[in-house]
This record gives sequence, structure tokens and C-alpha cells, in this order.
Amino acid sequence: MNVSEIEFGTLWTYSPWGTTEEEFRSKTMKSNLKTDAIVTEDRISMSEYVARGIKKDLEKLPFAHFFAINPVLVPMPSSSLTKTDTLWVPLNLANALVKNGLGIKVSQCLQRSKPIRKSHAGPASERPKALEHYESMSVQKELSDPAEILLIDDFITRGATSIAAANRLADAYPNANIRVLVVMKTITNPANFKKIYDPCIGKIEYSNGECFNDCIE
Amino acid sequence: MVAEPEFKSISVEELLGRPLNDVEKKIKVDTLFVEGSLKIPLPCPKVSIIGSRKASPQGIENAQRIAKTLIENQVIIVSGLAEGIDTAGHKTAIRMNGKTIAVLGTPLNKTFPAKNFELQQEIMKNHLAVSQFPVGYPTRPKDFVIRNRTMALISDASVIVEAGKSSGSLHQGWETLRLGRPLFIWESVVNNKELDWPKEMMEYGAMELSDPFDILEVLPTRFEMIDVFQ
Repeated sequence: MNVSEIEFGTLWTYSPWGTTEEEFRSKTMKSNLKTDAIVTEDRISMSEYVARGIKKDLEKLPFAHFFAINPVLVPMPSSSLTKTDTLWVPLNLANALVKNGLGIKVSQCLQRSKPIRKSHAGPASERPKALEHYESMSVQKELSDPAEILLIDDFITRGATSIAAANRLADAYPNANIRVLVVMKTITNPANFKKIYDPCIGKIEYSNGECFNDCIE
Repeated sequence: MVAEPEFKSISVEELLGRPLNDVEKKIKVDTLFVEGSLKIPLPCPKVSIIGSRKASPQGIENAQRIAKTLIENQVIIVSGLAEGIDTAGHKTAIRMNGKTIAVLGTPLNKTFPAKNFELQQEIMKNHLAVSQFPVGYPTRPKDFVIRNRTMALISDASVIVEAGKSSGSLHQGWETLRLGRPLFIWESVVNNKELDWPKEMMEYGAMELSDPFDILEVLPTRFEMIDVFQ
């Protein structure tokens, strides 16, 4: 993997172990996002809700510049194999963003060619490493030399999936500027949780086989 | 002539208290018949405990342990009123003063298996029984598979406690994965070398379960979402 650092942005935070009301609400929002539930009185899906919210707040969001040069949006593939008609939340998010004028188009060029155990479950030491993710992904080269690629994902913890995906895309499109936008960042230590709506940008770094990000935790 | 009973009919959306997304719409039925005292729309969260009719003593014990943990954390137990694991799930919920939902493969005025008649009556009185089949509908074996889809649809997560190669629980497992909801398979089933399906389901996103508390981590809470973009 040649790319050892990528810029990323997140919109909300989620606290799996917290006990405050805001943290319990973050768990409900996480569940709604994971199932792309219909969530508002307008009967819109969570992915549409996120896209409309980003559009509405774009000027004040720290990752506004991600959308300045009309990126191609690439949804993050699931860590698992998927059957036809299976819910794919990052794809729904990417489609909703483009529908709201954020990004020029969606490309499903990044695929999971073999399954990998789920990254959010279990302690950090048991989660798949970036290299495992990288070796399980492939790119179908359907884009012609894109200048800007924005990876779209629903959840991030350390960023192993993101850095692996960015590397796969960089292999296929060496001239592209690749960034990552993730809706929800997992805050594993409740002491570091501030509130659900907590947009930030930062860098995911890959060093000695491990991933770290400087956003919040 | 004896008049046939009438049961309240509602939509899946009314039962859940929310509209359905596109994937959910593909497996929903137009009408559900319901009987019981459980509040509708159903409070969250709800977890299916499912598995073999001919369950082993250890399987029954595992089902009871999982149900106990869930009930202690205000989770509603969903199951299909079948013998074995289903019955263990329902009965544990009732014994612990929790709540349970039976999703039937028969109309509400029929019981299968017949030995669960009293259990069904208790659920129809103090909990909730749900069926997509109207009174008078002639039950076929495949109806029990069809209702598994509905059971997956109304559950926030599903747990396969014990199941063989051709168990109806596998249908619910695949529907759960398609819906993007958490599917847990008890560890002894995952490690059973005679079974291929657990490994396949794990490749498609199912998770091994050895501690029932792990289920709680993936469930929505009773606190509703607020509009964070205001």
C-alpha cells in the first residue's frame, strides 16, 4: 500500500458504551443509519436525510471543500459478500448526495472480492487490519482518469477500511485526489463523546500496519 | 352456525410505527392480523430468537439464557410459536415478566403445534400474536417459511440458537442479512463442522454469538432520534 495518509471528514459521532441520553440517541441513530430507516415526518430515508442535511449546512461544514470540484462518489463496499437486493447503505448515501447536487456521479467501481470479518465487532486487536481490507478489495476500472474521488462510508472507527480502499483506488487511478467522507465516527471511549452532531475533518494515517486518525479521539 | 372470530388488521407500517424503506417493501405483506395487549406501534427494540423444533437440552438452555438477558434489558422477544427454541424464547419472556410476540404460520384462530395452544392463548391475551394469514386460510407447510420473512421484518435483529441443514430459521437468517439487520448465530452452531450454512452466512455478514450482551450493542435504544440538522 503506497498511500499512507488521507484526508477524511465525519458528520456525526456515536458512542457504543456511553450511558447519557445523547449517547443512547446516538445508538438509535446508528441503528437507523445501518438499516437506512425512514426517519422523518417527510418520510425520507436516513441516507436522504443525511444528504439534505449536508446540503443545508454545507457552508459551515469543515469538509465543504470535498464537494468543491465535483468529485466522483465511490460507495464503500460491505465487509461481507452480498446477495442481490441487499441493502447497501453507502450506495444509498452516495446516490442521495448526488441527487442533492453533491458530487458529479456515483461509481460502484470498488468491490469486495472476498469477505472479511466485521470490523466494528470486538476489540481493536481483533479487527481486520488495513492490509487485509486491501487484499479483499478490487477496482473495476470504469472511470476515465477522475480528478477527484470521494469515498462514501457509513461508519468509521480507526480508518483501516478507508485507507485500504483509498490505496486500491490510487492503484487504479494514480492521478486522482482521493478523500473519504463518513457519516458516523465511533467514539469508543465515552469520555471523548461530546454530541451526535460533531462534524470534523482530519487525517487517517497508516503506519507499521496500524491505522490512526486525528479526528476527535 | 358458529361465527368465525374477527381480528384487528393493520399494516406492517402501522405495526412498526414507521414507513418502510425500499428493501423492506419488497418482503412486506399488505395486511397483518393481530391480537394481544402489546402497545402498537411496537416499542423498540425487538429481537427474534429462533431455531430447531427438535432442539437439544443445551440449545433450549442457550435460548433461555439469551432471552433472559434481552428481557432484563427491556427487549421484546419475537419468535414463531414452534416447538423447541421458539417455545423456550416465548416462555422465558413470559416467566420473566417481559414481553413477547408470536408470529404465526397459521391464522390467529388456529394453533400449530397444537400443544402450544395455551401458550398462544396467553400471548394473545397479554402479549401479541401476529399472522399474515386471514381466518379460514388453509395452512400449507410453506406458510411457515413465508412468515419467517415477516418475523425478520419486524425484528431489529435475529439470533439463530440452534438449527440443522434444512431449518426454516435459515430463511429468516438470509432475509435478516438482506435487510441489513444484525444476524447472530450461536457459537456452537458456528463451530459445528457438519454444517455449511453458518460459515456461508458469516461470509455474508452474520456474527458469531457467545455472549448475549453483544446483541444489546447493535440494537436501537428507547430514545428516539432527534433532528440534528435544526
